[in-house]
Amino acid sequence: MEIEKALNGTELTLKIIGRLDTVTAPELEACLKESLDSIANLVMDFAALDYISSAGLRVILQAQKTMNKQGDMLIKNVNETINEVFEMTGFVDILNIE
Amino acid sequence: MIQVTHLQKQYSNGLQVLRDVNTTIKRGEVISIIGPSGTGKSTFLRCLNMLETPTGGQILVNGEDITSPKTDITKIRQKMGMVFQSFNLFEHLSIIDNLCLAPIRLLGKSKEEAKKRGLELLAMVGLVEKADAMPSQLSGGQKQRVAIARCLAMDPEIILFDEPTSALDPTMVSEVLGVIKTLAQQGMTMIIVTHEMRFARDVSTRIFYMDQGVIYEDGTPEQIFGNPLQERTRVFINRIRDYRYTIHSAQYDLYELQGGLIGFCQKYFLSEKKQFNVQLLVEEVLKVVPLDKGDVELALRYSEKGEKVSLELTMPQGVEQVLENDENIDDLAMMIIQGLCQNIEYQHTEDTGQLRICLTLKDKPLKDKK
Repeated sequence: MEIEKALNGTELTLKIIGRLDTVTAPELEACLKESLDSIANLVMDFAALDYISSAGLRVILQAQKTMNKQGDMLIKNVNETINEVFEMTGFVDILNIE
Repeated sequence: MIQVTHLQKQYSNGLQVLRDVNTTIKRGEVISIIGPSGTGKSTFLRCLNMLETPTGGQILVNGEDITSPKTDITKIRQKMGMVFQSFNLFEHLSIIDNLCLAPIRLLGKSKEEAKKRGLELLAMVGLVEKADAMPSQLSGGQKQRVAIARCLAMDPEIILFDEPTSALDPTMVSEVLGVIKTLAQQGMTMIIVTHEMRFARDVSTRIFYMDQGVIYEDGTPEQIFGNPLQERTRVFINRIRDYRYTIHSAQYDLYELQGGLIGFCQKYFLSEKKQFNVQLLVEEVLKVVPLDKGDVELALRYSEKGEKVSLELTMPQGVEQVLENDENIDDLAMMIIQGLCQNIEYQHTEDTGQLRICLTLKDKPLKDKK
């Protein structure tokens, strides 16, 4: 997995490339931990995300909780397969998916 | 008619082909023997007329023990015809002479008598006009039909067929199977080793599924093909392919495992969606089952017949309950597992009694683009 970061004032865009699974989720978790201070808008771009498991979902859920306290979070460019995982787990109701 | 008890065959190199075969065959039965290659099907057939000498057990034919050295095996063989894969016609004799030789020499029939019966039988297999031809002038299918007629010329009580169509071009298979079907309708007792599943299903009164040197399952065609009771039979009948992996600890190599799963899915042309779901199911299941109690055996199975994908996990001994409601269980993983699967079953292995979890993927969890 690769994470491309783009900071524009208080808006942070993270483009996740590859797989978000048990092995790579801690990497995203660490990235979020060090990047979210003073961020008002977090955008996660999933255009290049191929795979996600519950380990990745858990990190996203944590980010959503953090952003609920300090601003907004948006997930964009979710492909059909990954959206089905969001539907299966009820994440479609919790997350702001564009 | 035939009673087989504890039949064994071990070759001099130590290879044990038949371990313990037990069965009773009644007059009028049409039995197809199916099973993977190398499981003793042909050896069993050849033992029944002593073309192979058993190394253990007993075969009674009409009450007579044919494994006994005192038995006149030639006499027994006269009542027990055999049709081979490779026809085994006498190449230097005409077709009609192939049919007349044994009845004249062994049954003491006159030339005229043998020829009359031979022509009747050739008519029955549709080859009367080839009576004076030489075997080399016939196609494979025609040669096999002659071989069946030659067998019938001895008025056998039972015919053993050893893969009668496996040496034939696909175009010739049906003509031979058609003749065997006619014999079945006439009430001939037959034992047929075959790989032609549809034929076995249509023509047989009983099926033996042989595996590991035994008759692993014995039942009606409806049972064996429709609802096999034993796991190995199911795997064989449903043409199940599998990918196996052993998890030794919680620190297992996820990417090696996922790589293997993807390779397997691609080999059998599973859609990208199914590949995704297989990976997801495996990863989530391995989050909720205990991986610190011993090796967990994982098998991904794909049934080509029903296009079903299932995951089977055999847990270490002592592990009894998993995937059940448990306050420590990973809810998110369970939600995904339940979303992906149409069915989760628990069984115990036949030999060690270990817990086995079988998860069948939904055909289309949501939308499937192939």
